[in-house]
Amino acid sequence: MPSDALILGFDTSAAHCAAALLSGGRVLACHAEEMGRGQAERLVPLLEEMLAGAGCGWGDLSAIGVGIGPGNFTGIRISVATARGLALALDIPAIGVSTFDAEGHGHRGPHIATVPAPRGQIYVQTPDGKAELRPVAPLSDLPILTPPPPDVLAERIARVAAERRGQALPRPAPLYIRAADAAPPRDPAPVILDDA
Amino acid sequence: MSQTVTILGLESSCDDTAAAILRQTDESPPEILASIVYGQSELHARFGGVVPEIAARAHAEKLDLCVEEALAVAGLSLRDIDAIAVTAGPGLIGGVLSGVMCAKGLAAGLGLPLIGVNHLAGHALTPRLTDGAAYPYLMLLVSGGHCQFLIARGADSFTRLGGTIDDAPGEAFDKTARLLGLPQPGGPSVQAEATKGDARRFRFPRPLLDRPGCDMSFSGLKTALLRARDTILSEKGGLTRQDRADLCASFQAAVVDVLAAKTARAVTIYVEQTPAHPLLAVAGGVAANSAIRARLETVCTDLGVAFTAPPLELCTDNAAMIAYAGLELFHAGHRDDMALVARPRWPLDQAAAALLGSGKKGAKA
Repeated sequence: MPSDALILGFDTSAAHCAAALLSGGRVLACHAEEMGRGQAERLVPLLEEMLAGAGCGWGDLSAIGVGIGPGNFTGIRISVATARGLALALDIPAIGVSTFDAEGHGHRGPHIATVPAPRGQIYVQTPDGKAELRPVAPLSDLPILTPPPPDVLAERIARVAAERRGQALPRPAPLYIRAADAAPPRDPAPVILDDA
Repeated sequence: MSQTVTILGLESSCDDTAAAILRQTDESPPEILASIVYGQSELHARFGGVVPEIAARAHAEKLDLCVEEALAVAGLSLRDIDAIAVTAGPGLIGGVLSGVMCAKGLAAGLGLPLIGVNHLAGHALTPRLTDGAAYPYLMLLVSGGHCQFLIARGADSFTRLGGTIDDAPGEAFDKTARLLGLPQPGGPSVQAEATKGDARRFRFPRPLLDRPGCDMSFSGLKTALLRARDTILSEKGGLTRQDRADLCASFQAAVVDVLAAKTARAVTIYVEQTPAHPLLAVAGGVAANSAIRARLETVCTDLGVAFTAPPLELCTDNAAMIAYAGLELFHAGHRDDMALVARPRWPLDQAAAALLGSGKKGAKA
């Protein structure tokens, strides 16, 4: 029964490890731990503790909601890779949910969603869905949303995933917004002369 | 009672995303049921080397697809798998992390044992997978990121005799290709040019040959090549094809000489320990170079030691070697839990003094 669907949501897109377990629309468990590092070691044990505390096992899950950022590149890869491994093992969908979409969940009307970025910059998603990295927050008459506390973020990720369940969706992928730092070599290749 | 173990291996420590399935019944030779490698060369080509962030991005979104393809090729489902082995280091941490997390997701969801494998152990144990090599054997691991001599004594027991104190030869081949306007990866393109060149035209350095021991250095060779190139460029305004071929041939000859001389020393030290079946095995991407292979074979013949080099697809990065190393560890009772750590640095021989790197991250090799 879809109303009893068990959805696990989790997020490591910033300095935290957060998870929430939903059954139908009800929150069975919700937990977040602040941590600057160590999410890769802590994430799966935290999820297992949450499931066990609710008297559930991995096999009871109907879907996974995973935070895809934007945020810490390594952090969003940690969650996305875990979610894709779990989805394959459990043969259930993993649904990627951006922090922007989690912020907008339950919010009526147009808004601007934001996420803090490195060096005082800001990731911004405008109502047309366009996301970009900006040096400062935009000036706008629209409400400007910011990320909720990590436990609430995980809960909303699970809720958005629950809503999207049943849709044909691509596998979750990190939302980077910013291209990878890489520059072609400065030293140009030498001119090759035809042999005399 | 006969025991069959089917193990899934994952590898993502550099620029290849790989998954493989290996099966072994009792003591019979293990069978590779599938070995899938998704390369990333085209993503990195214009940067003249592997860009860690680009590699990490590709791994995170390809690993599960790679596992699915391996299962399809093997004609198996995940229910047929008994354990999950994954490269837990050393390597580019973004890629290693993606692999470790995907493996944790698989192992947790399936309720299977998880085994973290040292990538270097994967290479070092490959001669057992391909040739059933008996311990202890001598291993030359030579690739884009590594260069070391190891005596393999067990799945978790290695003695390092020496290695590079700076760059790996594969790195030097890539850099040479870049300096000479040849395509990446540099190994095959430099080798192809070298066959047309005069190896005696440029006298490049053979560092550390005058010092005892098995340590090597390749960074000075790159610099010497750059100087020789720039001398020609300033004279002619460019390189002729013959200049380029001669530079490649002279460069490759220097690498071959250093590896051959140091291999002879390593073999001598190894043979003093009177192994029952003396064997030198070479693995890693640079082992694909035919000039290097031929010279090492000669060294072994001269010293009365058998020589083996796994087939190319098992010399370069792959997941079959990770599955195999995982299988040996599995039989030895080794299991990791869900707190398994991805490690950028993880020397195989924990007792040896650091060759490279130090500080809070620890020895690189």
